[in-house]
Amino acid sequence: MVRASKTDQWIATPEAMAGETKQSKELFRTLFHRSPIGTYIIQDGRFKLVNRQLAYILGYEEDELIGRPALGFVLMEDRNAVHDNAVKMLKAGSSVGYEFRIVTKQARIKWVMETVTSVHYHKRRATLGSLIDVTERKQMEERLKQITLEMQRSNTELEQFAYVISHDLHEPLRMVSSYTQLLARRYRDELDADADEFISYAVDGARRMQALLNDLLDYSRVGTGGKPFALVDCRRVVEQAMSNLKIAIEECRASVTYDVLPGVLGDEGQLVRLFQNLIGNAIKFRGADVPCVHISALRWHNVVTFSVKDNGIGIDPQHSRTIFEIFRRLHTREEYPGTGMGLAICRKIVERHGGRISVQSRPGEGSTFFFTINIAGEETA
Amino acid sequence: MNSKTLERRLEILLVDDNPGDVRLTMEALKDGDVQNRLHTARDGKEAIAFLRREGAYDGAPRPDLVLLDLNMPGVSGLQVLAEIKQDPVLRSIPVVILTGSHAMDDIVKTYDLDANCYVTKPADFEQFILTVKSITDFWSVPVRPPEEES
Repeated sequence: MVRASKTDQWIATPEAMAGETKQSKELFRTLFHRSPIGTYIIQDGRFKLVNRQLAYILGYEEDELIGRPALGFVLMEDRNAVHDNAVKMLKAGSSVGYEFRIVTKQARIKWVMETVTSVHYHKRRATLGSLIDVTERKQMEERLKQITLEMQRSNTELEQFAYVISHDLHEPLRMVSSYTQLLARRYRDELDADADEFISYAVDGARRMQALLNDLLDYSRVGTGGKPFALVDCRRVVEQAMSNLKIAIEECRASVTYDVLPGVLGDEGQLVRLFQNLIGNAIKFRGADVPCVHISALRWHNVVTFSVKDNGIGIDPQHSRTIFEIFRRLHTREEYPGTGMGLAICRKIVERHGGRISVQSRPGEGSTFFFTINIAGEETA
Repeated sequence: MNSKTLERRLEILLVDDNPGDVRLTMEALKDGDVQNRLHTARDGKEAIAFLRREGAYDGAPRPDLVLLDLNMPGVSGLQVLAEIKQDPVLRSIPVVILTGSHAMDDIVKTYDLDANCYVTKPADFEQFILTVKSITDFWSVPVRPPEEES
């Protein structure tokens, strides 16, 4: 311990004290009146002292406010809440403000946030309040809320539209494809070569459109037809996907391996579809070698990153984003059949599970698809 | 010769409002090798009249199999199914729901009403032939349901 030396002690002479008091009063006055925060003292429910900023927010001159009931400036509907919040805050001494609406002299409604503290003023209990104008933020919040709602509504509408379109187009298309096939079956070889060719293009076109509609229907169902999330064993999911692809895997003697895979909260059917599309692609876009597909998973906090790695033909990095768009194809149908919906469906499933999907690849060097799943299972629309 | 051709004709009632589908089913049956006679009803009301042998359907045969479309105007396929399965005389007739709908709700509802089978009409005609063939093959064996003996 060091003893305080005598020079540290401040001798309070009456003159010095008077000077100090004067100085702090001036400092207080400057602070109070120049503060960018509306500041005021209320006693018996009426303004006793107000600063310039409060007067500015309310649209009055400072002296117009003195003596008037403070609650009178609060929008009628908000008065009870303001009173309750103020009482609560004075008791608890918390510093988290509450928001309400005021009416200015010009009859404009503004959103403000207030905090209050209990003080003594002229030897009697009073309330010291601080108030800031949050109208702009409130308006932004309101707009954001509206835009979000609008977007959700338009998304749902779009999904329903896609569903109805693909569903209702099925019936007439079934007629077209069935009857062209019936024509082909009954009259092939009875008509000339031209007729056979025309019929076969008609049959092929109808068949392709059927596939497109089915995939579009599946795509729209990811959002609207999804099941609630439950705990899903990813090992079982991968095994189910592989069993669905059994014929394709056996046909090209593909090797599909996987590491230890964690459980996640999700929609099991959709996760099977996700793995099935990715493993299926890895086999479909194989190179000259026997296809090898490996699946692994890495957990980091609440997020699991899965990877599906293959030794296939690879993808030019310039397409690494566009391949996830709907009906996007990089090859002719003669080279590789398909509707171009597979990866779009994958992306939609991943996004519903709060994750992202991407690919790392170079032509001729295989591809690795990565996707994340939020383990907490928060569904995103 | 196949032994099935020796059996008596399978009486089939097809309930469907879409003439394109009716014709398609007829053609598919033609390509199958089950002896059959196809009767058609264009809506639910006609189907029930046929089954109860009312009005113009006096003397209509009791079908061995009903192929029922779900989406019909007026009396719906579900209502026809309910009528059949609530009727002690008609109850034993096998009913196959044949429809373009993939909706899970519909499938569950029809099984709740004791449909014997639910088949989604395939878009592929070759597949449709196979479907119709497997249905008729399956139900052409028990020609007389036990309830009718009594």
